Amino acid sequence: MRAVGESLQRVDAIKKVTGQAQYVDDIIMPRMLYAQVKRSPYPHARILRIDTSKAEALPGVRSVITGDCYTKRCGLYLEDKNFLAVGTAKYRGEAVAAVAAETPEIADEAVELIEVEYEQLPAVTNAVEGMKPDAPLIHPDLHTYKVAPIFHPVPHTNISHHYKLRKGDVDKAFEACDVVTENTYYIPHVQHVPLEPHCAVAQYDLDGKVTVWGSIQSPYAVRQALSAAFDIPLNKLRVISPYVGGGFGAKAGTTLEGIIIPLARRNRGRPVKLNYSREDEFENSYVRQGLHCRIKTGINRDGKIQAVKNEFVWDGGAYTEYGVNITKAGGWASAGPYDIPNVWTDSYCVYTNHPVGGPYRGFGMCEIHFAIEQNIDEVALKIGMDPAQVRRINGLRPGGVTGTGEVMEVSGFHDCLEQVLEDIEYDKKPVDPSPTRKRGKGVAAGWKSPSQPTNAGSSAIIRMNEDGTFILMTSGQEIGQGSETALTQIAAETLDVDPALISCRFGDTDHTPYEWQTVASRTTYCAGNAIKLACEDLKNKILDLAQIKLGAYKRDLEFRDGFVAHKLYPDRKVPLSDFALGLSFPDGSGVGGPAIGVGCFTLENNLNVDHDTGMGSHPAAFWTIGCNGAEVEVDTQTGHIKVLKMVSCFDAGKVINPLTYTCQSEGAMVQSLGTALFEELKLKDGKVLNKSFVDYKIPTADDVPELVVKYVEHPEPTGPYGARGVGEPLMVPGAPAIANAVYQAIGVRFRRMPITPDDVLKALREQQENEKG
Amino acid sequence: MKAFEYYAPAALEEAFDLLDRFEAEGKLLNGGTDVVIQLREKLIAPKAVIDIKRIPGLRGIAYDPEHGLTIGACVTMNELGNEALVCTHYPTLAKAALSVGSKQVRNRATCAGNLINASPLADTATPLLAYGASVVAVSREGEREIPLDEFFVFVRKTSLRPGEIVTAVRVPAIPGANGVFTKISRRREVDLSTLCATVLKTGEGWRVAYGSVAPTPIRLRQTEALLDAQPLTEERITRAVELARSEISPISDVRASQEYRLEVAGVVLERSLRALM
Amino acid sequence: MKYRVNFFVNEEPVELYVEANKTLLRVLREELALTGTKEGCGAGECGACTVIVDGKPVNACLVLAPELDGMHITTIEGLAKDGELTPIQQSFVDLAALQCGFCTPGFVMSATALLEETPHPTREEIIDAISGNLCRCTGYARIVEAIERAANGGGDPA
Repeated sequence: MRAVGESLQRVDAIKKVTGQAQYVDDIIMPRMLYAQVKRSPYPHARILRIDTSKAEALPGVRSVITGDCYTKRCGLYLEDKNFLAVGTAKYRGEAVAAVAAETPEIADEAVELIEVEYEQLPAVTNAVEGMKPDAPLIHPDLHTYKVAPIFHPVPHTNISHHYKLRKGDVDKAFEACDVVTENTYYIPHVQHVPLEPHCAVAQYDLDGKVTVWGSIQSPYAVRQALSAAFDIPLNKLRVISPYVGGGFGAKAGTTLEGIIIPLARRNRGRPVKLNYSREDEFENSYVRQGLHCRIKTGINRDGKIQAVKNEFVWDGGAYTEYGVNITKAGGWASAGPYDIPNVWTDSYCVYTNHPVGGPYRGFGMCEIHFAIEQNIDEVALKIGMDPAQVRRINGLRPGGVTGTGEVMEVSGFHDCLEQVLEDIEYDKKPVDPSPTRKRGKGVAAGWKSPSQPTNAGSSAIIRMNEDGTFILMTSGQEIGQGSETALTQIAAETLDVDPALISCRFGDTDHTPYEWQTVASRTTYCAGNAIKLACEDLKNKILDLAQIKLGAYKRDLEFRDGFVAHKLYPDRKVPLSDFALGLSFPDGSGVGGPAIGVGCFTLENNLNVDHDTGMGSHPAAFWTIGCNGAEVEVDTQTGHIKVLKMVSCFDAGKVINPLTYTCQSEGAMVQSLGTALFEELKLKDGKVLNKSFVDYKIPTADDVPELVVKYVEHPEPTGPYGARGVGEPLMVPGAPAIANAVYQAIGVRFRRMPITPDDVLKALREQQENEKG
Repeated sequence: MKAFEYYAPAALEEAFDLLDRFEAEGKLLNGGTDVVIQLREKLIAPKAVIDIKRIPGLRGIAYDPEHGLTIGACVTMNELGNEALVCTHYPTLAKAALSVGSKQVRNRATCAGNLINASPLADTATPLLAYGASVVAVSREGEREIPLDEFFVFVRKTSLRPGEIVTAVRVPAIPGANGVFTKISRRREVDLSTLCATVLKTGEGWRVAYGSVAPTPIRLRQTEALLDAQPLTEERITRAVELARSEISPISDVRASQEYRLEVAGVVLERSLRALM
Repeated sequence: MKYRVNFFVNEEPVELYVEANKTLLRVLREELALTGTKEGCGAGECGACTVIVDGKPVNACLVLAPELDGMHITTIEGLAKDGELTPIQQSFVDLAALQCGFCTPGFVMSATALLEETPHPTREEIIDAISGNLCRCTGYARIVEAIERAANGGGDPA
């Protein structure tokens, strides 16, 4: 292969190291207006009155809007939100009014002049409490909301989705098990922390055309949501997303885009910009939902897990238009990458008066695996078996059956596990450097599939230029993951041309073709498939013409290194550029027209699961499986945990670009380290106490352990060149691997992330007291 | 940031004039790493910002064995921490200075500013308290030296009077002093102290200063007295650790619990004493 | 009220009238259209706005505009002369020491300042120089390696 599997230099690298890569906030537009937002100081309050008169009177203020201008709710799967609060404010920080002004300073001042009168309402600040029948209702009209048919809100409760998985007979199985263990875990809210805060600009032209520039992962999904919310026909609504400065899910749905559209509508012809501050980012964009998790695992002495029973209660926040799908994803993956005959899971999405939960790298998997993978270690130790052996015994093999009853045709589980055990030197027990510095090693596995609609679509266009170079058009969005490079490589491979001859364009709904979303680790797979089809379409059209030109059967012709060449007589070849505008004849006539290939992809036979049992024969496009290992050192006097080494091995199907794969894997491990040790959105009575980098710490270069990245390649039958998605799965087992290593080091099981020095010392004190007692 | 006037006086006299003119509505600006953030977050909204960085004579570091160290008010943390004289004679101070913020921040932040900010967890405060440093405050009325333990009054409150400008920090020379600076933080790099401490062994005795365990950085006088009384035995270390824990009054906050600070305060003392034994 | 400031950006003299409540970051981005310097937090915590001021790396979000008078500032736009990448930029490209790229200019500026002051830094010195720069994508390992490689003339780190 010439392009796929090569460590091609990132095609965006030079732009990015020179500061030339353009992000939304870098776009300079004339006559810009600046928006700012008035936010609720209460987690739950009825809005009695908003007086905007003083703000409107301030010189330089152009418009002030409130929830009154939002007449339609919107949302991705469940239409439960407005971009400004209507009736009640449902979390502290929710937008209740917004202004557009000539300068950001005037906008700031105007916001302070808006007077809002509230009646405080009882708040739900714990999801488990929020499920109770007497809990205050955050969305009393939930039963009237429009919802995608695969989601099941429970009317007159705060439960916006209840996913059920019922496989086998768990109760009977538990009775027969040698050892059953049940534990509860809590995973707090965290934030994605893309380095680029959210930013969007909207302009309403006088002829009704609306253009939105945003830091957006999924321009088409945003276009759809905004169109529904504001009744703008799709041909009049253009969404443009340039380079995105990190997404991780935070920029997958709509957040601030809908605030500026009514402002732009009132100021036609003038662009209106809204920039989120870092503080906004922590409180007012998406956060990763909190999770209360109860998990029961039954095992026999032979190491075979017979049954698991899970209850997941997701703290969805004030709106769960996106969160309901995380609840579903967590539910259907709840058996983990294991072949377990009896599985029972209830996964609930619960409204709380907390910041809005949304998709975060892993889409529920990082959270549930923190519990699943620690429980595996725990049951293994209870039957006196090495946890790695329990994983060997239960890990999904080819032909194995998943929690939802799907047969795994391909699985690299065991290859990944053995590689990780080797790289972490699992057999060598670590030596403690001193009695107060204890070391341990741990391993965890993880899996993920794209939790996308079963009929999610992708499309691509490849255009050949007159000189034989190409423009590749996709809406797979470059958000840092390297899609621009990987997708270029897939096109170059299919066309058998130098990747340097292809320029990739993305992120413009008026010009680049439909893509459902850039989420779910699906871009290489879905957009890649569409691109491969587009290139094959182009090839097919050119070969039709080439058989005339070369006087040979089409079946004997191929694309080779920028030429159409004869397979049997390699010297008989014509440069591709000869076909760029179709085929011309000596008499001056021509046929064919300019060379354009079109590719459209929807995975076929991808089916929804059964409503009552959660079972399905093929609900997932694919499952990506892998393992992490970690070695840690714990200072038992200060409680500090230092991660010394992390190793990773995943079954990527086919690695399109080993260089960018490795970089993604390294980044994923360090991000998981952050959640394991540092990160938590500290919430008190609905208030975020640490909404800045001063008190929300993510890892720095100093925290990075030795990192070892490996992969295996068992091709995905439906993936382009065998590839499956990896961006999210790479992060999933990191935190539980660290937690398992900490257990080996100090014998304490932490059922809550992050594992802070405070928690370590507290646990060690309790351990000492228990030993004494 | 709200609008304000900006002045960069070229002499102290000019700065005094501006302070007279704006009184409480004038805010002195030095490295700006705290002030600019307070402006951004609208915690302060002064009428005038008076930048003292263009006043001559505030940038130097001077040392002699008799008078000790003088640190000009506008000396940055990196300048202080990397200065050979400081590294040689006051290594705990150098280490504390370099533990503040990031390299970028330390190129702007100053030691004087760190003290004036009067945070309970000011990193350079504990070595300076241990050395018995003082702050030089100048006003129209003249110059006065304020011992550091009288300088800190409460959380973010100092004993500076209106119209006074800190021009330097003076640190006495203590020949043969040997110390340990410790910073406990959630993340090793670029973090605020969960707790910080300097334990200094002087010729005749011990000095112990802690940050983030009380409303201001403090000296642990009783612990010092216990340590000074007799040679350092295992039993004495244990008693000193217990005493130190009783002498501090940390709170629980978003960074750590009170229990954690109490426990680790003892660990830090014990480790420091053993390192200096 | 506006204040006249004369300073140098990427060796070019600049004269501007600025408001006191603007930061160097906003002056660069809004007045001079030098948008390679990014705002990640506005509070000196993330390093995305790192520029070199009189030879030292500084957060542009913490410098007030009127302070600029007389300063020499280098931004990311001032590095690649005549289209030629600097060794640091080149090794970031070679090692794919970037993903979304938003933090990259800040890292390149911190690394540039480091190697100007310390041409052959230790790993600890590199980490000290960049621990004020946050990156959420890469996991930093390649960034450290890229700086090491640039310091060693493009070959493998010694």
